Amino acid sequence: MADIQLSVEDLRKTFHPGLFESPIEVLKGLSFDVRRAEIFGFLGPNGAGKTTTIKAITELIYPDSGSISVCGLPHTSLEAKRKIGFMTESPYVYSHLTGREFLRFCAELLGVVRSQQEDRISRVLDDVGMAASGDRKMGAYSKGMLQRVAFGQALLGDPKLLILDEPMSGLDPIGRRDVRDMILRQAAAGVTVFFSSHIIPDVEALCDRVAIVVDGRVRAVGTVRDLVSREADRYEVTFAGVSPEELSTRLLAHHVGSGEAWVRVSSEDRDALIRELADRGARLVSMNPMRATLEDLLMTHSEGVDR
Amino acid sequence: MRAIRAIAVNTFREAIRDRILYLFIGFAIVMVISTKLFGMLTVGDEAKIVKDIGLAAMQFFSMLIAVMMSMLLISREVDNRTVFNILAKPVRRWQFVLGKYLGLVAIVAANLLLITLVLVVMVLIYTGQFDPMLVFAAAMTMLEMSVLAAFATLFAVLTRPILGSLMTLAMFVVGHMSADLWMLTRQLPGTFTRAVIATVYYLVPNLERFNFRTEVVHDLPIPPAAVGWAVVYASACVGVLLFLAALRFQTKDLK
Repeated sequence: MADIQLSVEDLRKTFHPGLFESPIEVLKGLSFDVRRAEIFGFLGPNGAGKTTTIKAITELIYPDSGSISVCGLPHTSLEAKRKIGFMTESPYVYSHLTGREFLRFCAELLGVVRSQQEDRISRVLDDVGMAASGDRKMGAYSKGMLQRVAFGQALLGDPKLLILDEPMSGLDPIGRRDVRDMILRQAAAGVTVFFSSHIIPDVEALCDRVAIVVDGRVRAVGTVRDLVSREADRYEVTFAGVSPEELSTRLLAHHVGSGEAWVRVSSEDRDALIRELADRGARLVSMNPMRATLEDLLMTHSEGVDR
Repeated sequence: MRAIRAIAVNTFREAIRDRILYLFIGFAIVMVISTKLFGMLTVGDEAKIVKDIGLAAMQFFSMLIAVMMSMLLISREVDNRTVFNILAKPVRRWQFVLGKYLGLVAIVAANLLLITLVLVVMVLIYTGQFDPMLVFAAAMTMLEMSVLAAFATLFAVLTRPILGSLMTLAMFVVGHMSADLWMLTRQLPGTFTRAVIATVYYLVPNLERFNFRTEVVHDLPIPPAAVGWAVVYASACVGVLLFLAALRFQTKDLK
């Protein structure tokens, strides 16, 4: 249990928009655990319940039922909140403050010892690449700069658990790379990172483990390799000398072009195809295993869900 | 305590960097200065007229600042979702409500101080002497504004800004009609109407308890007990209103 930094169990939440509108059940018994010092991706389409889950963890909304613990503590305790660094989906900051003033305000809220505040703020500004712009009003910042300062405030309390809601959403490629690097630096320093995203390459590039959340439930949890290899079962085969239409092996897809044929088969049919190609005297050009991507997995789980 | 102070300071800082506040202050100062014009145009003791209109202007603009800034600053924090940064940290929701309220009270107090200073100087120019009772009247206005800001805080967490502003303004108006409401409960024939008005009378604080303008303008004696009761009354009202605001905010989902 000590190894679990964040535990969410059977979380349920229904919103009641108004008297004449139907209730919206957003979380339908969502459960997962995040282990110490791992980067855990919370992957799901828009409306899956990712932000609602994060808001429940950070006590911005109250779940109808279920339990959440942070580092073994109830998530509502101040002690648990001290261990969390949280960055919202969009950088919600005060345009009337400079980056440094904003961080000073956050340091006061976190109870950072005053004699250490300025050093820590300077260090954080440096970490997020904002040392040169820290004394400018945030109203004049670009989206990337706001994201960096927002990331900085999440680091200010030296968190054990970093919760990032869509940290790379809306950023240009350079901004995304910078945020990715910042996440990796924190993970290397032993901080547990939990981040939500609907951008699959980011999740694949960063995460030790992933939870796929669709329609308010976790549909699959595991390492990216586990998840995709468990369901990766296709092969793409290129050959010459036989038309795909002549083959009796079941094909998932096929195409003929420039003298070569291309087919896709399931792994169960792979050996049958190779045998048949040999029997018919075809020349095998290439055979590539096709592992299911997270995107495939997400699409599979999202099928039939209203969004 | 540090969190409450930090939220209050940030609220104060946000307000003093907002142009709307300076618009209100500008109008208030122009109004107080123009009391000299009213003094010249009106029959009677000009100094008393300057004090009377000056104090009325002070109360009116302080009320506007209290109502508008309360709504603006609390609703903006929730609507712009900057509140997420605060409440995801080790800060209780009641600390947020109290911090915002104290920041607002500090804004009103700073403005009141400025308006009082202008009025005191105006009266000093007019009569050649410093009238300390103007400062007393300003302090009583501050008590009234602290109750009004607590109402605004409660309405800001209960409803939308425009409705909240209107409801706070209604509290100001009804709060100054307490004596009339009491008379109505005695004179109206219908039991139901009488019950409704009596409910309003008991629910809305009597803001006339903080009005010592007549005594200050006409140099009448002020019973210390009335001042003491005004302080106790304001404290009780603020306590109850902030408790209700914190209670509501405590259970609110911040979407």
